[in-house]
Amino acid sequence: MASSASGLLLASLLLSCLIHACYGDILFSSLQRTLQVTTSTRQGVLEAGEDKVNVTWGLNQTLSSGIDSAYKTVKLKLCFAPISQKDRAWRKTVDLLKKDKTCTFKIVERPYDKAVQTIDWTIERDVPTGSYFVRVYAFNAEGHEVAYGQSTDDRKTTNFFDIQAISGRHASLDIASVCFSAFSVVSLFGFFYNEKRKARNAQQK
Amino acid sequence: MGLGGTQEFGRYTDMEVQGSKREFEHPKFALPVDSEHKATEFRLYSIAAPHMRAFHLSWISFFSCFVSTFAAPPLIPIIRDNLNLTATDIGNAGIASVSGAVFARIAMGSACDLFGPRLASASLILLTAPAVYFTSIANSPVSFLLVRFFTGFSLATFVSTQFWMSSMFSSPVVGTANGFAGGWGNLGGGATQLIMPLVFGVIRDIGATKFTAWRISFFIPALFQTLSAFAILIFGKDLPDGNFSGLHKSGDKQKDKFSKVFYHAITNYRGWILALTYGYCFGVELTIDNIIAEYFYDKFNLKLHTAGIIAASFGLANIFSRPAGGFISDAMAKTFGMRGRLWSLWVVQTLGGVFCIILGQVDSLTASIAVMIIFSVFVQAACGLTFGIVPFVSRRSLGVISGMTGGGGNVGAVLTQLIFFKGSKYSKETGITLMGIMIICCTLPMMLIYFPQWGGMFFGPSKQVATEEDYYLSEWNSKEKEKGLHQASLKFADNSRSEIGRKVMSATTTPDEIPSTNV
Repeated sequence: MASSASGLLLASLLLSCLIHACYGDILFSSLQRTLQVTTSTRQGVLEAGEDKVNVTWGLNQTLSSGIDSAYKTVKLKLCFAPISQKDRAWRKTVDLLKKDKTCTFKIVERPYDKAVQTIDWTIERDVPTGSYFVRVYAFNAEGHEVAYGQSTDDRKTTNFFDIQAISGRHASLDIASVCFSAFSVVSLFGFFYNEKRKARNAQQK
Repeated sequence: MGLGGTQEFGRYTDMEVQGSKREFEHPKFALPVDSEHKATEFRLYSIAAPHMRAFHLSWISFFSCFVSTFAAPPLIPIIRDNLNLTATDIGNAGIASVSGAVFARIAMGSACDLFGPRLASASLILLTAPAVYFTSIANSPVSFLLVRFFTGFSLATFVSTQFWMSSMFSSPVVGTANGFAGGWGNLGGGATQLIMPLVFGVIRDIGATKFTAWRISFFIPALFQTLSAFAILIFGKDLPDGNFSGLHKSGDKQKDKFSKVFYHAITNYRGWILALTYGYCFGVELTIDNIIAEYFYDKFNLKLHTAGIIAASFGLANIFSRPAGGFISDAMAKTFGMRGRLWSLWVVQTLGGVFCIILGQVDSLTASIAVMIIFSVFVQAACGLTFGIVPFVSRRSLGVISGMTGGGGNVGAVLTQLIFFKGSKYSKETGITLMGIMIICCTLPMMLIYFPQWGGMFFGPSKQVATEEDYYLSEWNSKEKEKGLHQASLKFADNSRSEIGRKVMSATTTPDEIPSTNV
């Protein structure tokens, strides 16, 4: 009795997930973790625009074969570690994948390949400072997520790497700022001096 | 002067004769002027010196300050990634951006009284321009907060705008002039939400990376600010007859003492009440400028771009709603005098509070946008209506009173953001509803404002003889009057007699008198 009830529950859960999936409302919790992802970087804090992240991914060989029959493409994404999401609601993790903001930077998109893949990715210049991990999503032919893998554990506690963003500043900008500011202040005093001079001349006349 | 006998408003029997002399064509001025040479008409499409030119210089420079102060919010999604800001950092910077102006506005008021609006505003604009230039080189949450704090000081130019308009335009049109100058300046807060993303996009498309493009973008508002200050210095004049410094030297204008000016401002309770009520129309407007884009973005899952456009439309309503407030104030004053100005401000601002409560309650996107626009019109009109009353509170200390009221506006912004929109105590919807309730409560003190010569909301003018002269000359002691320092106030008192309202005046006309055609 209990088993048939739980079986019914499971079936209805799966059904609702499927329905959601059909309408594009895919939940992260509905995805299976079938891919294995590892990252490797140099020691220390990585510099955006300069350093590279080496990502290796492939199907978990211990799983039954045929599980990846629906996989057509994979997308690699750079994702925020929980510490970089703290007090930053625009990076919030939400189960509904459409609204999820954990992984906002795309590394690469490739067709799915059964063999183990690897990529040496140079960190883009618009990546902000923070702690990161890499997640790989597998998509089916309709473009819906069906499975994933990530370089950290399920509770997102280990194996992060730190990136330092570019400052965006240039020496020319610094100099221009200082010069224009000085010009504003100096010209104000110039005007004052001019006014006093004109008033003195008018009085002398 | 005709201080009439025992009849209640007997003194007004002289007015019909004087009324026709109240405005006249003057060879030197393009617009008709009164005895203080203030324009009695407001012609929007003219740039005639000195009146309309002063108007255009003041609203454009104030507009540029608003653009600079709110240039960061539309670019926050980029800046927060570049500077590694948290939500707390962003909130604190937002509060800092409006808190600097609290005291700057009072200081600006004093500076206007003492040095004139031209030098006071141009100085402030040029001294805060460096803060905008330095925004380009900010590199941490602290430096970001500091540049927003110092840039926010430039919002004190609001006071010089209102002071300048009150010096250039006469009682019948001062509300309209103040409303257009204030409203078109406030427009900058909405325009910047469209300008900055556009400038950023262009610079990025030319080839700069995101984190450099936003920095370069800040040079645009900074340059605009600098150039507008130059224009004021080159083309502007403090008063219709010339600049303070020239008039001081020629003896036409008396230099006043700061301590006296300040004293007469802070001892006038009406200034304090208006400072409080202004916090709940203008202060609320600033708060909404800072939070509304995020509100729509989060509640309705809009794109940032779309939320920005909705946010911009709130500020852009200023193009007509604040001037409308000023115009309504002047129109009500024609018939009902100062009592009409007071009542219309109370009604409009209270309705603003009602629509704020509704905004926090509606759930659909269309309803929210519609209610927000209605709310913006009422709240901004209330700002215009407030500055239809401020010019009459004091003549000697007009600047400091304007500064106190303006500063009160910013205090309201700081308070509402601190109480309702910091941290996660209230959801944004609840915060908005509670803010609406606070608006209604904090507008009630208006009922306490009373002018002996014109009345208040619930009481008519004083039964004892109380004239405009009594009110404005009470700011000068006998020694100062002996020296003739009070002449400007005397002229103003005469010109402000229209604030009694035509209804009261016509009640005192005897059949043989010529009916007044224009006040």
